[in-house]
Amino acid sequence: MTGAAERRQVLLMLAPYVLGLALLVALPALVTFGLALTEYDLLRPPRFIGLDNFRELFRDDIFAIAVRNSLLFAAIAVPLRLGAALGLALLLHRRARGAGTARASVALPTVIPEVAYGLLWLWLFNPLYGPINLLLLWQGDSETTTAWGTQAPQWLTHPNDARAAIIIMSLFTIGEGFVILLVTRQGLPTELYDLVALEDATPWGIFRRVTLPLLAPVMLLLLARDTIFSLQATFVPALVLTDGGPPPYATTYVPLFVYSNAFEYLRYGYAAAATLLMFAATGLVVWLQWRIVRRWRRGLG
Amino acid sequence: MSVAVRQVRKEYDGVVALDSVDLEVAEGELLVVVGPSGCGKSTLLRCIAGLETVDAGSIWIKEREVTTVRPAARNVSMVFQSYALFPHLTVEDNIGFGLVVREESKRQVKEKVARAAAVTGVDRLLGRKPFQLSGGERQRVALARALVRDPDVFLLDEPLSNLDAGLRVQMRAEIRALHRSLGATMIHVTHDQVEALTLGDRIAVLDAGRVRQVGTPVEVYGRPCDLFVARFLGSPPLNVLHGDSPLAQARPGVIAGVRPEHVRLGGEGVAARVELVEVAGSDAYVHLDLGVVARVPTEERPAEGAHVRVLVRDADVHRFDAESERRL
Repeated sequence: MTGAAERRQVLLMLAPYVLGLALLVALPALVTFGLALTEYDLLRPPRFIGLDNFRELFRDDIFAIAVRNSLLFAAIAVPLRLGAALGLALLLHRRARGAGTARASVALPTVIPEVAYGLLWLWLFNPLYGPINLLLLWQGDSETTTAWGTQAPQWLTHPNDARAAIIIMSLFTIGEGFVILLVTRQGLPTELYDLVALEDATPWGIFRRVTLPLLAPVMLLLLARDTIFSLQATFVPALVLTDGGPPPYATTYVPLFVYSNAFEYLRYGYAAAATLLMFAATGLVVWLQWRIVRRWRRGLG
Repeated sequence: MSVAVRQVRKEYDGVVALDSVDLEVAEGELLVVVGPSGCGKSTLLRCIAGLETVDAGSIWIKEREVTTVRPAARNVSMVFQSYALFPHLTVEDNIGFGLVVREESKRQVKEKVARAAAVTGVDRLLGRKPFQLSGGERQRVALARALVRDPDVFLLDEPLSNLDAGLRVQMRAEIRALHRSLGATMIHVTHDQVEALTLGDRIAVLDAGRVRQVGTPVEVYGRPCDLFVARFLGSPPLNVLHGDSPLAQARPGVIAGVRPEHVRLGGEGVAARVELVEVAGSDAYVHLDLGVVARVPTEERPAEGAHVRVLVRDADVHRFDAESERRL
């Protein structure tokens, strides 16, 4: 086949995907830029209002809470999720009895549809008959105190407990990061570990001097990816479990804020502006991470 | 004795990798362990290093039994086929890795690294990362890392196998020179019989987990102790003469063999026809219809299809027992 014919065939095979991407992702994304400068309620035609939406957003207390909630969630959930994925990958990368089953059970929760996963946790977190609190209240002194004397968490009704609940449920959908780290670890050359064994490295030394630096490029990628993911993935849990509550807006994250404004208050322009700010913030966070990690890796050499 | 391996046995899931292996390496000696792939030579090296435990037998380094001593306390250095350099570290940090792990002072690390780098000729590459180096340079860095710690014994696991042919010859000479100048004890594992013959003070031929023969290259090549060793060393391989071959007196229960360079073409002897001539540079391999290959200087090679006379002197014939394949 000639080069031109081959090129044409490749383009042809890519076409359906590219078309879908353009129509369903790129085009709406572009429209968002325009929409953010308008007032639009689906009933009347959009009205151009310049940067008014952005001005209003900066004065909007609920938006400020939503941004803070989102960033706080990412700041806590991302390190925990990455740490758990790394820890489990290092624990399970060897061939051992039951390792296959264990790997599957780490990966499995990630493939459960989000709404079903949310409903499952709604039951797990139920303060009265949910298994988590039943376990915590087991052998407690009264019906609401745990074995070590504290009040049982009010997962869905107390602001901080609810935020913790959303973080906890995010810690079990780490399948993708886990699989990537598992495969990467398995691909690391065994000679490097032989070499370290001939020197005098402790398990912590081996992790710090060999495993971590060699996994670092993949970890960096996962860090960026998980940050982006975490800033968006709060939507379904916040909608299904807590509906943005408990008051005052304890689990109202930016995606839920955008959803409410667009589909409940029919303020499409305002929602589009919030989306764009979130987009910019996400980019900024990832860029900062990139800078910090690059400096750290240079220091490592 | 610098290294002694006594009656070492190693199995993997019932498959015997090493079977009563006995081996002694003298102080300052370069021993080459050679054998086909899967013969257990790398396992042997890993057992000496302590990266594998042995099922039976003992291992001694400098008169000290180390059979159950952890690898780091054996004071051995290893060089791997894949070089095993850390991609995120510079050449300098790669060479000094073991010293840093052992928490030597910064000044000492720098001095020792500089010295080792000078010996292996990588002193101008210290600031580079491994991906910026050629294969030969990488192996030199790996050698520098091995000698920076002044180990009791160097273990080299096919260090030349990833290099292209020209570089392999050059590095072979450099390892030999390094060995001479350091006076170090080295065990070098390879599957390449040319490498074994040219490099070793002595060579040990391994097959199926057993040591077949240990000796100087001249001894092992000139007086192979069994048919396997005779056929494994030498290129083209030993000609095995069947009972009805006119080249050697047939004796029942005996396998006769002759090396290609001892198959002489000339005016006297048995008549034969040339089937194929392969020119391999200075020598040519002449395939005869008698089922043997002769090795002759290229300028003296006969034409394909020519009729020649073939002579094999009785002193050049190796004879092995047909049953045990041992040398008679």
